[in-house]
Amino acid sequence: MNLTVKTRLEEYGYYEVRIPMKSVFYLLDTAPYGSEKAFGALNAAAVSLNRMQVTLGLYGDGIYLIAAGQDSRKLGVPNLSDILYSYGELRVLVHEPSLFERGLFGETLIETVELVDEEDFFESMENSDCVIRF
Amino acid sequence: MKTLTIVLTDGPYISEYAEIACKLTENALKRYQVNIFLYLDAVQIPKKGQNPSFVTSTGELFTGLAEKGAVIRACARCAAARGYIAEEETANGSNCKDYLPGIKISSLYELSEMISKSDRVISLSR
Repeated sequence: MNLTVKTRLEEYGYYEVRIPMKSVFYLLDTAPYGSEKAFGALNAAAVSLNRMQVTLGLYGDGIYLIAAGQDSRKLGVPNLSDILYSYGELRVLVHEPSLFERGLFGETLIETVELVDEEDFFESMENSDCVIRF
Repeated sequence: MKTLTIVLTDGPYISEYAEIACKLTENALKRYQVNIFLYLDAVQIPKKGQNPSFVTSTGELFTGLAEKGAVIRACARCAAARGYIAEEETANGSNCKDYLPGIKISSLYELSEMISKSDRVISLSR
């Protein structure tokens, strides 16, 4: 993925420069609401969207973030799955074995995510320029 | 000069990550520009007046790193949630009266900027 920058040289007029965009993988393995980590990961991912190629990887208990129909009103905190759903441009990778282990495979999940096997999940981490763990 | 960014999310004393970040930074500063971004509970690290009984004050370690040239920034939202307020005026290299010198409260966008401009990023989180 490239970041396109329009620049200008006196002799050539405007032209485009394509700079390889840095990639960042935010890894979340903590369930939402029990700590600030899921909210923190979502915020960090959101502010990175314009500057980098961003992937949010959900692993282990982190996969609870994509369970549909969450109601956090009594906790007095925002509905984190709604926030995740609203970031349509954010690539969300979900570690499928974690879904199986927690009996969530086949349950209703939010739609804007990709389910991937262990190999693809770790390949995506490995291919990212940096991994930030929450 | 290459740039290293360290991202911390743990507060002081609950884990060794703050001390590990200090040791990494001390050594890295010989060859790298070092940025440290304090996120979530890590915004507690620069609090003034820490007096742990058996270990060195993590805040003092970090203010020492800032003196040596490390750029240390704390997330504004996380800081405000814990009662650390960014002020207009900057004194002793800090914009928060409850913080030790050299460490500033900044926007979360600075995390993204630090990461995008770094050659290496290390994340220390439990």
